[in-house]
Parts: sequence; C-alpha cells; structure tokens
Amino acid sequence: MIRGSIYSQSEGTTRKGSQILGADDARNTAVSVAVEVSAKVAENRKRLKQGKSAKDNVADLKEELNMDEHLVPLEELYSRYNTNVETGLPSAIAEKMADEKPNRLTPQKQTPAVIKFLLTLFGGFSMLLWIGGVLAIIAYIIDYSRDSGAPRDNLYLGVVLIAVVCITSIFSYYQEAKSDAVMKGFLKMQPQRSHVLRDGKWSEVDADFLVVGDIITVTYGNVVPADIRIITASSFKVDNSSLTGEAEALSRSPECTDDNPMETKNLAFYSTNAVEGTCTAIVLRTGDDTFIGKIARLVGKTKKKETPIRKEIRHFIHLITGLALFLGAIFFTLAMTVQKQQFLQALVFLIGIIVANVPEGLLATVTVSLTLTARKMAKNNVIVKNLEAVETLGSTSCICSDKTGTLTQNRMTVNHLWYDLRVWAVDPAVEDCFQKEHNSFKMLYSIATLNSRATFEETDQSKPLSEWRTSGDASESALIKFCQQIRPISDARKDNPKVAEIPFNSTNKYAVTVCEQRDEGGRFVVYMKGAPERVLARCSKILVCDEEAPLDDTYKEHFEKAYKELGGLGERVLGFAYHNLDTSHYPPGFQFDSEKPNFPCEGLVFAGLYALIDPPRPAVPSSVKACQSAGIRVIMVTGDHPLTAKAIARSVNIIRDETVDELAARKGISESQVEPGEAKAIVVSGQKLKEMDEEEVQNIIRDYDQIVFARTSPQQKLVIVEAVQNVGNVVAVTGDGVNDSPALRQADIGVAMGIAGTDVSKSAADMILLDDDFSSIVKGVEEGRLIFDNIKKSIAYTLTSNIPELTPFLVNVLLNIPLPLSTIMILCIDLGTDMYPAISLAYESAESDIMKRRPRDSKKDKLVNNKLLQITYLQIGVLQACAGFFNYLIVMGDHGFLPKHLKGLREQWDNRNINNLRDSYGQEWTYESRKNLESMAQTAFLLAIVQVQWADLIICKTRMLSILHQGMRNKHLIIALIFETTLIILLTYAPGMSVAFRTYSLKPIYWVSALPFACLILLFDEMRKLIIRKYPQGWVRRNLYY
Amino acid sequence: MADKKADQFYTRPPKMGKWESFKVFLWNPETSQFLGRTGSSWGKILLFYVIFYAALIGFFAAMLAVFYQTLDDNKPKWQGANGLIGSNPGLGFRPMPPDSNVESTLIWYKTGEPLNINYWTEELDRFLEPYHKQSGSENVDNCEKKDRPDENKFCEFKITADYAPCIKDMRYGFDGKERGGPCIFLKLNKIFGWQPDFYTNATAPNDMPKHLRDHIAKEEQQGKHHVIWVDCAGENPADIENIGPINYHPQRGFKGKYFPFHNVKGYVSPLVAVHFERPQRGVLINIECKAWARNIIHDRVDRRGSVHFELMVD
Repeated sequence: MIRGSIYSQSEGTTRKGSQILGADDARNTAVSVAVEVSAKVAENRKRLKQGKSAKDNVADLKEELNMDEHLVPLEELYSRYNTNVETGLPSAIAEKMADEKPNRLTPQKQTPAVIKFLLTLFGGFSMLLWIGGVLAIIAYIIDYSRDSGAPRDNLYLGVVLIAVVCITSIFSYYQEAKSDAVMKGFLKMQPQRSHVLRDGKWSEVDADFLVVGDIITVTYGNVVPADIRIITASSFKVDNSSLTGEAEALSRSPECTDDNPMETKNLAFYSTNAVEGTCTAIVLRTGDDTFIGKIARLVGKTKKKETPIRKEIRHFIHLITGLALFLGAIFFTLAMTVQKQQFLQALVFLIGIIVANVPEGLLATVTVSLTLTARKMAKNNVIVKNLEAVETLGSTSCICSDKTGTLTQNRMTVNHLWYDLRVWAVDPAVEDCFQKEHNSFKMLYSIATLNSRATFEETDQSKPLSEWRTSGDASESALIKFCQQIRPISDARKDNPKVAEIPFNSTNKYAVTVCEQRDEGGRFVVYMKGAPERVLARCSKILVCDEEAPLDDTYKEHFEKAYKELGGLGERVLGFAYHNLDTSHYPPGFQFDSEKPNFPCEGLVFAGLYALIDPPRPAVPSSVKACQSAGIRVIMVTGDHPLTAKAIARSVNIIRDETVDELAARKGISESQVEPGEAKAIVVSGQKLKEMDEEEVQNIIRDYDQIVFARTSPQQKLVIVEAVQNVGNVVAVTGDGVNDSPALRQADIGVAMGIAGTDVSKSAADMILLDDDFSSIVKGVEEGRLIFDNIKKSIAYTLTSNIPELTPFLVNVLLNIPLPLSTIMILCIDLGTDMYPAISLAYESAESDIMKRRPRDSKKDKLVNNKLLQITYLQIGVLQACAGFFNYLIVMGDHGFLPKHLKGLREQWDNRNINNLRDSYGQEWTYESRKNLESMAQTAFLLAIVQVQWADLIICKTRMLSILHQGMRNKHLIIALIFETTLIILLTYAPGMSVAFRTYSLKPIYWVSALPFACLILLFDEMRKLIIRKYPQGWVRRNLYY
Repeated sequence: MADKKADQFYTRPPKMGKWESFKVFLWNPETSQFLGRTGSSWGKILLFYVIFYAALIGFFAAMLAVFYQTLDDNKPKWQGANGLIGSNPGLGFRPMPPDSNVESTLIWYKTGEPLNINYWTEELDRFLEPYHKQSGSENVDNCEKKDRPDENKFCEFKITADYAPCIKDMRYGFDGKERGGPCIFLKLNKIFGWQPDFYTNATAPNDMPKHLRDHIAKEEQQGKHHVIWVDCAGENPADIENIGPINYHPQRGFKGKYFPFHNVKGYVSPLVAVHFERPQRGVLINIECKAWARNIIHDRVDRRGSVHFELMVD
C-alpha cells in the first residue's frame, strides 16, 4: 500500500493545493481503499447490468452497514461509549484502547520482497541459465569422479552461469525497487493530527490514536479521521466522492435526516474530505471497522493488466527458450546417438547451445533502456510509476480523456458578453474586442464587481492575473478576474461601498446588493446578478446604447436568441440588472435592511449577460491534433454537461465534424433516425449510455470517429474504457478526479494530473503529469514509440550474435572439429562486449516522424517478429558466423592445421594422452601446444564476432534509412564502439585474461582478416535498405523489413 | 484519422480456437497458404535464400582462396617459437592402448596369451610400416658417412636385425621368453625446422642421471655426442626396483642427422626402441622417459620433453 500524500511540490500554489494541505494518513489509506473500491466496481461490472451497477454496488455496500448510532439520541450514545460532550474520554482509557486497536487500516498484504526477488531469479531466461549452470556443475562432478585432475572449466562455467543469473536478477530487482522508491518519495508521508477532547481538555493527537467515543473537531481542509456522528456543525460540508463518486460537496448537520446511514446528514465517513466549515463530532467507528475499512477487506486484490511490452517480451522469451530447448534436444540426441559421444561430452554441447541461445544481457538492456526513457520523461515533467508504462503510451491507440482539469484549465473564464443587443467575444489575445467605453459595458463591469463576494487572496504582480488565488465561487472569481483587467476591483469597491446584500440562494437564483455611489453624491444603486431568465423576469427596462428602453417583446426575443446561442456553446450564462434608486426616496444615509428587503427587487433595468466557460488549456488543441495525426483517437469522457462538453471538444479538435444531434437538427429528424456513418461525430450522454448494453457501446466506438461521452458516472467511465479496450485498442485514460480513478485503473495506462489530481487518482495511475499539461502525453507517446523501435533495434543487435555463438557448437558436433568458441567467450560477448552497444541504441534518434504513423497493432506488430528473426538469424547472423569461422580457420591453417584436416579431428584433439597429433605439415603437437592453438583460434573467432558486431551495431541504428542519412550523431553509440573495442583488447592482451577466459594474444594480422565480412554486412544491409526505400510496396519491403 | 479506415481497423477477427487457427496456419485452403505463405511466396523466399547463401559461400571461398595464397605447401607459416607448437618437442611412445580406452596409457598384457599380445604387436606393425617403405622414397639419403642429408632429402632410418628382440620377427619382445619384457618405441614430436642443441659433458645439467652423464662423456670423446639422449626410469622407488635392466636400440638416443624436420616427403622420425629386459611380473610399473638436449625443457604435468606410461606384464 502506498501511504503518503502528494502535495509536496505544489503546496499552496493553487487553490486546490491549499485545500489538500491537511492531507494525511487517513487520506493515504483512503487512497488505496478507493482504488480497491474501483477494483471492486470493476469486478462487479461484469455481473451487474451496467446501467444499474452503480446503484447496485452502493446497495451492496449499504447492506454491510448495519448501524443505529445515527438514530439514537446523543445522550444514549455518550452513555454507550462512557463519554460525555464536556470532558470527552479519560485519556488513560483512550490511550489503552488506542494501543489495542489503532485507528488505521490493516495494510493490504503485498508480495513480499523475497517472493518478488525469487520471481525475477527464476523467471524469463533465468530458468534456462539455471539449467545450464547446474548441468555444467554436474558435468564437472562426473568428470572429477573419474579423474581428480580433471580441468575445472565446467565447474568454473557453472559458477559463472549461476552468478550471471543472480547478478542480472539483483539488477532488475534493484531497478524495479528504485522506480518504486521514486513513487514513494513522490507520495510523501504526512501524519495526520486530530483535535480531540480528553479529560476535559482539547489536545492534538495522531489520528491513529483516536478511539470510539472520542469527541473531536473537524475543520475545513481536514480529512474526516473516522466514521463520526456530528454533534454541532457550522456550515460543515464534506466531499464524499471517494465513496460515492458524487462530486458535489454535501452539507452535514446534527439532525438525523434518513434511516440510511449513507444518506443521513449527521454522519460523516472516514477518509472523506471536509471542504467547508467545522464540526464537533463523536467517533463511532475506527480503522477496519469504518465503512471504507469494511470495503477494503471485502475487495480482493486486483491484478493490473499485463503491459504491452511485457507481453511482447514474454512472447520473445517463449520463442527463444523454445528454440534453445529444441536445438539443445536435437543436438544432444545427435551427439549421443549418431556421434556416439559420451554423455559428458553431449552434456557440454547442450550447455553450450543453451548459453549461446540465451541473450543473457538482453533483459537488463531492456530494463536500462526503459529506465533511460523514464528519466528522459521525468525531465519533461512526466513521472512514470511503472517502468513498462513508458512503452505502453507508445502503443496507445486511444486516449480517453477527462475534460475538467485535463483538457481545460479548471478555471472559469469570461468568454462572451452580451450587451447592446450584441454578442461580444472575449479574446485575451485581442485588445479592445469589445467597446469598453459603452455605458452598457461600464454597467456590466459595475454589477460584476459590486455584486460579488469574491475577493483576491493575493495580488502577486509577478504572476499572471489568471493565476491569482481568489476566495469565492468559480463564477464570481472568473468575473472579478475579468473585471480586474478593466479597472482594479478594489478601487471600484472603495468608491461604491456595499450597504445591503441578499445572497444567492437556490430558490431565488439571484443575488442582490445595494451600493452607495460615492462619486454620484451618495446615490444608491441596486445590482442584481443571477440566472438570466430569473433576472429578466424582474426587469421592466433594458439598457441599449446608453438608453434605458422599455423591455418589449423584440428585446426579449433578442435576449432569448443570445441566451440560447451562448448556452448552446456550453457556456454558463449569467444575467445582470440594476436599478438606480431615486435619491428622494433613498437619501444618503438611508438604512437598508437585508433581512427584510426595503428596496425594490423588481422593475430593474436589464444590463446584459456574461457567458463563462472553463477554457481549454492553450496547448491542448494542437496536442490533440498531434495525437490524431499519430493515429490516436482522443475520446472525451466527462461528467460535465453535454453542451459544455461538446463546446470544449470542438475547441480542442476532439470534434471536428457535424455531430449526430446537429445533423438531426439540420435535417429535422430525430437523433435515432440518423444512420451511423452519416455523421462522424457523436455526443453520448450518461443517460443514453445507461440504456445501452456493452455491444451497443462498442458499436458507437466503431461507428463514430469523434466521440464525446458526457454526464457519465465513474462506473460508466469504467464501462466506456472497457468497451474501447474490447474493440481492440490500447487505451490511455487521463483524469484527475476520484471519479476517474476506476477508469485510470482499468486503462492500459492511467495518466493522472500532478497538480490538480487527487491522491486517489494518482495512486490508481501509472503515470503522472507533474505540470498537468496534456501535451506532455504527446511527448510521452513519442518517447514510447521511440523506445519500442529502439528496443527492437537492441534486440536485433543482440540476437544477431547468437548465430556466431551457436554455430561453433553445431559444427563441433556435426563435423567433429576442435571447438571454435568456448562457452565462457559466449558470456564475454553477451554480458561484456555486446552490453553497452545494445544499450546505446536506446539513445538512437527517430528515423522518421514517428508521430505521423499509426500506433502499432498489438496483434500484428510484434517486438520480435519472423522478419526480424530471419534477418538476424538467417542473414546477418550467418554472415557473422562466416567471419568467425574464417578467423578460426586461418589461425588453424597458419599454424599447420589446414581446413580439410580439421574434420573429425576433435576426439584426438581433446585427448589429453595424445601428445603427438599430426598437422597438415607433418608436425606433431602435444596436448598443451594444441590447446594453446585452440585458445588462439577461439580468441580470433571472438575477435571476429566483435568486429562484425561493429558493423551490426551500425546497421541496427536504422531500419530503413541509410546510415549516411542517419549519421553517427549518437555519441553513446560511438562510446559503445570504443568500449567494445577496448574490452576485446583487454580480453586478448591483458595479463591474467588467458587464465580467466582462455584467450590468447593475437598477431595483428588477425585484426584484419574478419574486416571484409564486416564490410560485406554494411554493404548488404545498405542494399537491403535502399531497395526497401525505393520500392515501398516491393517484395523486399514485405519480406525483409522488421 | 481516416474514419472509414477506422471502421476496418475495428472489425473483430473471426473467433477461432487455438487448434483451428493452427490448422489454418498449417494449411489455409482459402488462400492456398502453407505455414502462412503461398506456394509462390515460398518459392520466392527460398530462391532468395538460395541466392544469398550461394553468394555467401562464394565470398567465403574467395576469402579462403586468398588465404591459401599466403600459405606454403611445404612449410607452416608460423614455425617453432614463432608459432604455437613451440620449440620444445614432446616425446611419444608406441604401442598406444586401444582407442576405446583413449584416456589410458597402460600397456598391459599376459605373457603367452597370443590374443592378448596380438593387439600390441599389430599396433607396432602398423606403426613401423612406413619405416620399411622409406627406401623406396626418392628423397631418401642413406647418410652413411655424413652428418647431414643432401638438400631436400632426409636420412634413412632403418630398423635392422640388431634391434633384436625389438623386431617384428621376435614379436617386439612381447612373447616374453625367458621372462623378458616388451620393447616400447619412443619418438620425438616432429616440429618443423627444430634443431636440437646437444649436450656435452661440460654442459650436462646436474639433474641429469649420472649414468647418462658418464655415457655422454664417453661418446663425446669419440665425437658421437650429436645425439638427443633418451633415458627411461621408474617414477617411484618401487617402480625403479621393479623395472629391471633397460636396453636402448639402436642407441640411447636420436641421432642429430635426422634433424631438423623439413617436411620432406617420406620423412620418418627416428626411433629409440626401449627394451625392458626383465620387468617384474604382475605389478604395475610407472615409467617416465625423458629426452635430453639443451633446448628441451622437462615438465611432467604438461608432458613436455618426457613421456609417461605404465607397464604391466602378467
């Protein structure tokens, strides 16, 4: 369980940030619980009919909740828990109780580190290497039992193989643990404190030490530390979204309003947020007994889906393991039966074949490549929780994005004005886009400034106005920010002090203030703001071009038209009106009464409309376009109103064509009559979604290109994501809210917002955008695709050398020549010279615009496909093997053993008692001298592999471009070449190496002999690529392009 | 994103069982595909590989041909200390135990059991065959009265009757009349161009057995010291006791005139037949023979300049 809360970095920088400052343990546990809730929802989803799932789910939970604590009188409760509201619990008893039963959730059992480590130790290729290592040791034991002077080569090899397994396992375990740690550091622990009454004194204790019967206070910004019953409250509101998904804050008060504990107003639940007011309350349930604790125990562990890259690697491991076992078995039997070799000899072949087939260093290479990309992305403010998620973003074919806070700024802004019978668009980029000098506008300014409770909490000139913190609701904040640009609102308010006020309430749907106009000799003006139709109903005149005209039907029509137009844009429209009070009736100093209004609220003058919208983030439209040109669909899934959703979707390019409803309206038919295919875009509301089954949802996803889901519940978001996945997509979900977290969890990759995101969403996600910038996703997609390509190249590079490693054993068995390459040398290549070059390919830049092509089809575009295997194994690999054998043959030939002489020589060659083996020149070789020759020939073979791997590295840089186009700008690759060369020089010439690796100093001439093969590889591959480029549809492209 | 394409993109593939899809993969009757390829597709890819590998073999052959150009037919490119064979020839013995027992160096037979003995004598017959043929060789030089053969010739090495009993007719001593032991033939590994550096009395090292030193001193006086000396002895005190007297034929070493080896056609290595006159019956005797020249270093573990074998006569 990840414990800890997030707001380390952005504390206090945003309004939301300040709310979350009090984040704490209870919330932390809530994080995981909410994730589990979402998991449970996911589980239930299948058996419950989707539309009902939300309700049924809650119903399930309700059954669990059998309690009467909210029904009985408080006094009875006090006596039940031996407490009272004046003194609280005696602290001695409370502390003892807290020791026995601390107020925290029993952490969910995690896979122990040991198990995790063992999994890496025996997973993947490790098993093959274990087999190889154990076989080698068995071979040594057999050998030793016959002859105590047996060479220790096999023992040595066995130990090395086992060491290799252990070291690579430790390495990958460490890498994983490290990326876990990054996340843990990100979710910093902040212990929660809670105000509690004990022994008649208020004190602050750790929330962990709360016990049943404690009297506590909860204030704005806190997390409710336990299940509590309210004793007293002042405008106390909680946000229950982590429980129910309801985004709206609910007020809580001492009255019991419902038998149902979930509905009644006098209960608040563990882990929910107190968003307004304060309360005193009595603790009813703690820790695992709380509502959320119960769910936590109910919900089983969920398994996250396998990431695409892991799937690919598993596929690849199966392929290679199968090949290794197949070849191993064939050659083992062949050696035993046809060649009639001893069991021991055959065993040594088997080990060699296994070791040659397994690319020992490859998995570490992949891990390092992913880590490098993760690091690169962290620089771009994208934190990756799960390394493999780096690539998942690259495979993504569909992004389901939440609207608020992700696509939009989550900040209401004035977008349109309507006055003088005209709509004025507000464009921050254009000065004077409306007539500031008109009286109507001035009046609108006054009303918005003066009829407002919002104020600036800071006036930090260094920051843009839009980022200033404000108090007050979103609309009023938007209005004062708009007004501040025209004239500082504090000046206006100073000149026009407020003398009376009727606040907004949901029955009136308007707010009224009366202000004294100081510069007009103390005249009073009534300002009204509210729902446009309500405000209009209270007006008898309208301000048009400096004149107050009677409000007749034509004006009303004008109003209706504008209201509809702005509303149709998804904007929140507010109406504004005023009334200059007659100084004779309301002389200066008149006492206004807000409780019993003694001023007129009817017969006002209508001034105009403000239309507000939460505007898209500036970079979003282009990012969405970039995604689309990369073949990634962007679907909007939002809880917001369809009209607003559509407007935003259109402004960010999610919807570009006529939608079904627009088409229907144009043709005058009903929406259901529109054939799929007639329109490309559709807006589906949660209401409609409820009536659909999974098949129908999938049909929508298949039939329409541009889709917006509006008014969706968290459960529906989940259903949508699943449907998109079932249609065959790799889905990324972006979101910030608690209500997004089930969908984030279900997605192939969940992307949470770092600033606006809730803890719940962050812990459910795989990736976090620290700057909340949707365009970071585009960057992420690019990195993901690049790393997929580059890992492919790394694999191509690494696999190629398997053939020159494998063939020596095959030829050794088939033709009975002295062994051309030792098993230890294979390890020198796989874990030595090949490692850095393979990793350096991760730094390779993209060949073409990878953002112009479609996402890979996870069914067809495999990481390792048959073409890649053909090119590496059957073409370049064979070329490399030729180079190796050539070097081997010339070393042998130069010393006297001509190629024709080698066949069938193995048995005598390896016989320790033959001390006069005759070569092609009649010379006779002792065992020792010919073993030296063998070492030298093997070293020459090794050198040849390294040299042709130079060429291989260069050809693996590109899959299609010529190396001349791509250039050698990857400096890591150049360093890798130097590294590889230095290593082979050390292996060949450094003292001690001949003992450790059985290498032998080579004459300079053998540094030249394999080079023609390296050139041939470069030439062959350049030709292949040339033909591929020239004939994009040709046979070569279809058969020889990986 | 093309909308029509999207439709195609999202059509679901027909549902198929694993076995069924494998069968279709094996042979797809609709498209006539075998293992995912049609006949012509298989033809093309196979043709590609035929051409590819043919070209590769051609290239490889050309490279080898270039390499052969750098070689001499008669002498290895790297010789002696310059190569890996070194300048320290190993010593070998004949007859060798059978191949089925390759790891063994034990010569073990029962006296008077012809079947048992035949293996060893036939082995020696085979080994000595070239020695009887050399007189037919055009390069042979009888080297009587001279120390070196003519250019591109080699000195004849004859196995004559005075090798007795180490001759074919006497079954190389293996029939063991009068408790006699077998003859074991020693030979020095051929190393191209290797020239021995002979000991004189003055240069004889201290670790040389005294009887050999005396022998060298004696021969040196007659100017016959241009010989790589051979000395066989039991390895352990018990072996020394059991080994009995030893005779060397034709002499205690390899004459210098047979060196250096220049890969002249028909050349045969000089031999020393070591006759164990009276080895102890029924015990295993560890024997080590060493060759002595100034440029031969002895190393029992690496078996340089010496040879080890066991003898057991029942």
